[in-house]
Amino acid sequence: MIDNIIHAAIVMTTPVLLAALGGLVNRVGGLVNIGLDSMMLAGALIGLMLASQTGSWPSALAGAALVGGLLGLLMSLCVTRLQADEIIVGLGFNIAVAGLVRFFLKSAYGSSGTLSLPDVARLPKIDIPGIADVPLLGAIVSGHDPLTWAAWILVPVTAWFLKETRAGLRLRAAGAAPQAARALGLSPLNIRDASTVFAGAMSGLAGAFLSIGVVGIFNEGITAGRGFIALAAFYFGRNRPWLTAACALLFGFFDAFQIRLQGRGVPAELVQTLPYAMVIVVLTAMALSARRRKLRGA
Amino acid sequence: MSAVVAPPSTSGWATAVLPFVLALVAAGIVLAVAGHNPFDVYRLLAVESFGGTKRIAATLSAATPLILTGLATAVAFRAGAFNVGVEGCVYIGGLAAAYVGFTFVDLPAPVLIPLALAAGFVAGSLWMLVPGVLKARLDVDEVVTTLMLNFIAISFTAYLVNGPLLAPGSANSATPMVVDAARLPRLMPPSTLNIGFLIAMALLALYWLWSNRTALGFETRIAGMNARFASASGINVPSLVIKMMLLSGAIGGLAGAIHALGSVGRFVAGFSPGYGFTGIAVALLGRGTPVGIFLAAILFGALATSGATIQLFSDVPIEIVNILQGMVMIFAVARFGWIFARRRTAA
Repeated sequence: MIDNIIHAAIVMTTPVLLAALGGLVNRVGGLVNIGLDSMMLAGALIGLMLASQTGSWPSALAGAALVGGLLGLLMSLCVTRLQADEIIVGLGFNIAVAGLVRFFLKSAYGSSGTLSLPDVARLPKIDIPGIADVPLLGAIVSGHDPLTWAAWILVPVTAWFLKETRAGLRLRAAGAAPQAARALGLSPLNIRDASTVFAGAMSGLAGAFLSIGVVGIFNEGITAGRGFIALAAFYFGRNRPWLTAACALLFGFFDAFQIRLQGRGVPAELVQTLPYAMVIVVLTAMALSARRRKLRGA
Repeated sequence: MSAVVAPPSTSGWATAVLPFVLALVAAGIVLAVAGHNPFDVYRLLAVESFGGTKRIAATLSAATPLILTGLATAVAFRAGAFNVGVEGCVYIGGLAAAYVGFTFVDLPAPVLIPLALAAGFVAGSLWMLVPGVLKARLDVDEVVTTLMLNFIAISFTAYLVNGPLLAPGSANSATPMVVDAARLPRLMPPSTLNIGFLIAMALLALYWLWSNRTALGFETRIAGMNARFASASGINVPSLVIKMMLLSGAIGGLAGAIHALGSVGRFVAGFSPGYGFTGIAVALLGRGTPVGIFLAAILFGALATSGATIQLFSDVPIEIVNILQGMVMIFAVARFGWIFARRRTAA
């Protein structure tokens, strides 16, 4: 029972974590990406279609990442080159892409909302011999797919990238001090575009995880707002990869619990509000402590 | 997150029409790829929206909630606050109005209707109290808080209509129907066009008076344009921001109330088809002016009604409306000056 919940929680963490790491890098580069959910949705659809057509999950993931990255690029160009407000562009992408996806489903498959394809190559599960049967530990590390492993490996990699590498420093400069970055001969806009492409690709992968990793079919509501949960996670994690991952894990547990709680008299809808409510609480607490610090300093 | 949206200017018809034209072109490409003739589709949309009294009535009926959500967004924009939480207010206000409408069944219509509308108004307003105060007093980003509150509102109301407020004997997530006395009188039966449209128009007129003829309206505009200058001139910006956020939420709640009492007759899960988000597009496309908001709301209302009809009569999916709407939002905030001038020093 506990093992099941832990396992489910880790599974539900993966899509949020992937998208949140992308959004985190994007935000460090100076763009708050409200459109993650749309890129996730597109990735989920393309991932499923490719997994059915090619029968190979790596190419499905590659296609999902490509489509997500492409959407990211389009969105970024609107913001960096056409100077559009990032929030409105993000909302616009969510509406337009959701419309496009449903339009496409109806036009190409004559189906409203759900797409089920034959011979879908699912993500393989990696069972670790010897550990798989150990209580707790087995649920934590065994029986997960490559994307889940990749997501968790990317947490320290992102932390290291931001802190220790030249490119990471440039990314931070593009976000925090674009003028200074310009003065050094960098192009903050190009760097920002690159970070949005990365966020899009990560969200695309997150979407493909949902369609070919978890359920095996596509549904127009498959993301269930996880792009926004990811937004909550990196806001919550204050741009720190480990803290963000911890939040994604917490939200994953909420998700797993909520599935468990259904039919047991505990309203799942109320559990669903928790991640969003927590963001408001944390932002408030942060603002309060910032003000206290300022008052003390003054 | 930099949420400062410059108060929309009124300058230039071209800049107001361009986003819609570009969206039509982009959606036209989608239609063409899908094997439809975009011109035929657009002509059909126009005929279905405006060809005849009945269709115009349907368009105005569909535009009613959008006038209100557009106005709600514009009011907050004026004060420099970007309220993306109108969608949540529509849910909360709609539920509050429906609750009054099916609970106080013995009241006569002249009492019940204002009471139910007021319930939606107040509920929507209270829903924006927290983000308003947080933004004004602690400088907490209102975009994030109001966005998160949308999801909370949708889930919370879904909980209420699945549990405590579920209509007895009903399997689907809905409250009981409101009593007939709570239904908004219709202007041109059998069309759903109702007095909610007149209320929305009256509020638009008030908005014009308020923004052009009152001191508060002027102060709000100054605060939205330059908060520091406003503070230096003795305007209490934080209190203004709270007031405008509350007003914005109230108008959003009223939109929900009118939708509940005028069209749906009760509150159901998935109550709003994104009225709050369309309202953002309406406010942007309308450049925050009363006439602009009216025209933009008519436009999106027309798309919504005619989109539903053409899906019935041709095989063009109604989602073309969502595609257009999203594109309009994107193009409405993009600046195309760089095409003509050399790139300006960005970032």
